[in-house]
Amino acid sequence: MTQADDRLKALFALDDAPALDPAFSHAVMEQVMRQRLREEVALLCAVSVVAAGVLWLIWPTLQPVLVAVSHWLAPALGAIVVAACAAIILGARPTAALGLAT
Amino acid sequence: MSPASLDEALVAAAQGGSAEAFSRLVERHQQALRAFLRRSCGDWAMADDLAQETFLAAWSRIGRLTTGASVRAWLCGIGYNKHLTAIRSAGRERARGAVYQAERDVTVDAAPEDKIALERAMADLPPEQRACVALCLAADFSHPEAAEALNMPLGTVKSHVSRGRARLCQALGVSDDAS
Repeated sequence: MTQADDRLKALFALDDAPALDPAFSHAVMEQVMRQRLREEVALLCAVSVVAAGVLWLIWPTLQPVLVAVSHWLAPALGAIVVAACAAIILGARPTAALGLAT
Repeated sequence: MSPASLDEALVAAAQGGSAEAFSRLVERHQQALRAFLRRSCGDWAMADDLAQETFLAAWSRIGRLTTGASVRAWLCGIGYNKHLTAIRSAGRERARGAVYQAERDVTVDAAPEDKIALERAMADLPPEQRACVALCLAADFSHPEAAEALNMPLGTVKSHVSRGRARLCQALGVSDDAS
C-alpha cells in the first residue's frame, strides 16, 4: 500500500458509521417487523377470502349434512368444549386452580 | 467461529425466518454498508435512509442469498442499486450536485481542507466510479468482490478505481505513485 493510499484511507475513515449503533439497528428491525406484519395480515386476508369462497361454493352440499349430524353431535361437541376449556385453565396452573399452590 | 461462518449461520437462520438472526446481521454489517453509502452519495441522511431500505429489501430477498456468498458484498450491491434508483428519481438529483455534503458537520482529525478537497473530488466523480472507489479504496474490497457487488465487469472496476484514485490524488495534491 502506498503513502497516497494510506492518506486516502485515513480521510475515508472519517465517514465511518459507529461499529455499534443500537438506534439504527432498532429502526431497521422495527421496519422489518412492520413489513412482516403487513405480509402476514395480507396472507391471512387472502386465506380468509379463499376459505369464504370455498365455503360459499360447498354450502348447499354441506348444510344438509351438518343438520343431519348436529342432533347427535351437539352433546359430544359440548362435552369436548368443556373438557378443552378445563384443560386450558387447569393446564396453565393446575395446582393453583385446585387451591394446592402455596 | 470465523466471521464468514458466523455470517453463514446467521443467514441460514434468517432464511428460516429468524428475525433475531437478521438483527445480528444488521448489527454486524450496518457500519460497512452505511460507510459505503455515505461515500457513494455524499449525503449522510440520505445514505442512512438508503441503508434502511437496503436492509428491508435484504430481509425480503434473504432466501435468494446463496451459501458462501459475501453478505457485505451482497448488501453493498443492493445499496448501490438503491442509490442509482434514487439518483434517477426526480428530486434526488442533488445527490451529485455541488451541495455535496456542504452543510455536513464533520469532526476532522486530519486537516479539514484535505477532507473537504476529498469530498469535492468524490462529488465530481461519476456515480459508478465513486462506488468503485468507495469499495476498493475505502472499504478494502478486492476488485473481483467489488465487481460482483456492483454487477460490473472486473476490467471496468479496475479502470474506475485507477481513474478515481488518480483524480482523488490530484485533488489532494499527493503523488499518485501507483500509476
